[in-house]
Order: sequence, then C-alpha cells, then structure tokens
Amino acid sequence: MNDDLRRYLDGEAPFESLPESARAEAEAWERVLAACSMGQSEIEAPTGLEGRVMAEIATLPERSVPARLVEWLLRPRAVHVSPLTAGLAAATIAALILVPAMVREDAMPLPTQPDVGAVVYVEFRLEAPGARSVAVGGDFDEWDGSHSLVDPDEDGVWTGRIAIEPGLHRYMFLIDGSNWVTDPTAERYADDGFGNRNAVLAVTTPTA
Amino acid sequence: MVLAAERTDAQVVRDVLAEDRDAYRLLVRRYGGVLHHHALHMVGSSDVAADLVQQAFVTGYRRLRSCRHPDRVGAWLFRILANLCKDYTRSPRRRDVPLQSVAEIRGRGSDPGEDAARAEVRDRVHAALEHLTPEQREAFVLKHIEGLSYEEIAAMMDTSVAALKMRVHRARESLRGLLEELA
Repeated sequence: MNDDLRRYLDGEAPFESLPESARAEAEAWERVLAACSMGQSEIEAPTGLEGRVMAEIATLPERSVPARLVEWLLRPRAVHVSPLTAGLAAATIAALILVPAMVREDAMPLPTQPDVGAVVYVEFRLEAPGARSVAVGGDFDEWDGSHSLVDPDEDGVWTGRIAIEPGLHRYMFLIDGSNWVTDPTAERYADDGFGNRNAVLAVTTPTA
Repeated sequence: MVLAAERTDAQVVRDVLAEDRDAYRLLVRRYGGVLHHHALHMVGSSDVAADLVQQAFVTGYRRLRSCRHPDRVGAWLFRILANLCKDYTRSPRRRDVPLQSVAEIRGRGSDPGEDAARAEVRDRVHAALEHLTPEQREAFVLKHIEGLSYEEIAAMMDTSVAALKMRVHRARESLRGLLEELA
C-alpha cells in the first residue's frame, strides 16, 4: 500500500490528492468499510442486558459495616472552621502539651514535629508469569493503577519502587491493564466491600 | 431534585458508591449499545458479545471505586470491555463458538437486496478479521468501523497514535486480499 493511500485511509489527505493509480483501491476500501459500519441509530444494547446486569449485581454481597466505617475514617474531607475556633483549639492543644512539661522539673525536650510530606519508598513485588504488564494502584494514587512494575529479566517476577506517604494504605495489583488481583504476600487484608480483599500496607517513617 | 436522566456520569458513580445500586442501571442504559457494538465487531458472535458486555458492566461495578475519573466512566467501562474482548479472542474456548452472522442484528435498509449484499460483505470482513491479532483487530475496528480518530483511540486505550497507526496499517495489509476478492 503506497503512502498516499495510507494517508487517505488514515484521514490525513483528501481523495483528490491520490494518484490515479490508487483511486480504485481507495474506492474499494470505502465500499467495504461503508458496508461494515453502521450509524449510531442502529446501535442497541443486547436484549435484556440491563436486567441481567442488575440481577447479577444484586447477588454481590453488600459492603460490611466495618468496611464502610474504615472507608469513612480514611476518606479525606474538608473541615470548615472559623479563625476564632481554630485559634482557641490551637491554644488548648498548646496548653495541654506545654503546661505539664513546664511544671515538671525534669521535663524532657518536646518531640520533634513529624516530617509532614515525607515519603517512603516501598518496593512492590508480584510473581505473574505470562503477564504483559503489571502495575500497582491503591488509595495512595486514587486507584489509578499507573505505577508500573517491571520484569527486565523476564522471569515472571515484577518489581517496582513507589514513593508513598506514611500511613495505612490499601492496594492491589493490576495485571494486563484490566485484572485487579490481591497481593498474595501481603501481611494484612481488608474487605473492599465488593466481595474482594484489598491488601493493606502500613508505611512508617524510618527512625533515625 | 435531579431526575435520573439528567444525572451526569460523575453523579451516577457517586450515587452508586453511596450504596444506591439501582443507579448503576443508568450507566448500563447509556453505554450498553456502544459497548455491544464494539464487542460484536471484536468477537463476531452476538451471544458472546452480549456475555462480554454483561461481564464488563459487572466488573465495572465491582471495581467502581478504582475509576479515577467518574466523569469519564464510559471510557473506563470501554477499556474493561476491550480487554475482555482481547482476552476472549486469545482464549482457546473461542474455538468452540462458531462465528455467527453479525448481519442478523442489522440490515434495516429499505432495499432488501442491498441489505443482503452489505451483510455478506460484513460477514466476510468479520471472517477476515478473525485472522488478525487482537490488537490489530481492535485498532482496525475502532478506526474504520466505529469511526474514531487515532487521538480518541489513543486516549481511550492508553497507547500511542504511532502504535495505533502501525496496527491499523498492518491490519489493512492483511485485508487487502479480501478487498480484491470483493472488487
């Protein structure tokens, strides 16, 4: 296939730009593709699809109360506080921390503030021979699944290091872009509320 | 109050995640046809296509919390289906399912003779598509049968325009023999 015809079929050049020798084939392609395509008005869902999907969904277990509670606790939310209230709260907390230390003769130095924004590099590993791609996703990346693992020696063991903020995180592996699987070697698991288990990872800041 | 039909995809996703399972049927209604269209062209059999579309919606429901962009949940469901279709075409079980006429659900023109001729062309093209790799078939179907631009396909399938062009080009080269037969 010559480049002119290729560009035409790719929609990058008009029919008029084709040399005479390529026009017959271009028209043949148009006839075949027109026969294959169909208008939007003809697109229909399979008969009874909605009923079957909803019936299958109805058989899935409902999310458990503990799962909902954990999610509620982990979900970030905006808190609206007036400057006055915030000031009073800060003063109260400061008083609770400072006053006991001041009245003690042998008061120890105050602990240093946690390193806000610090990240810890966590190595993920999954044995997945035959996989075309493996990625990891979790609540640390809004389940994006875009952190790819690599298998450079093609032995089926996929690894990758990801920077994650300290805290308790749920995650899963994404194989071939569509199959979410639970880490079989995780230390802890949590019900995801949809009949599967998320692996749970506790990331802590290394002590000096 | 927001009527069901007026709810955006993002609102529907939010409602489903807030335990309103029934809201999910809105997504099935919105995207069932488009997904079925793609599955039909990928697997050739209307029964298998219907099963894969159902599987895609159920998988989507189970994984809805991982949908990062609820306003683009349609494209997300499409990716799930596309992967299921490719897995199916690679699977040995597909050999047990005879290719059915994809013309049976279409052919609504006013000229029965013309409809029959188009149906025959469609069936022969679909038989030829069977010999392409799943990736080539997917790219060809999205570009030439579903009429998407390379940029739209690349965004939907998370791949590059250059890679897609190469797959479509190779698919066309493979189908040129059929083209000569039909001429």
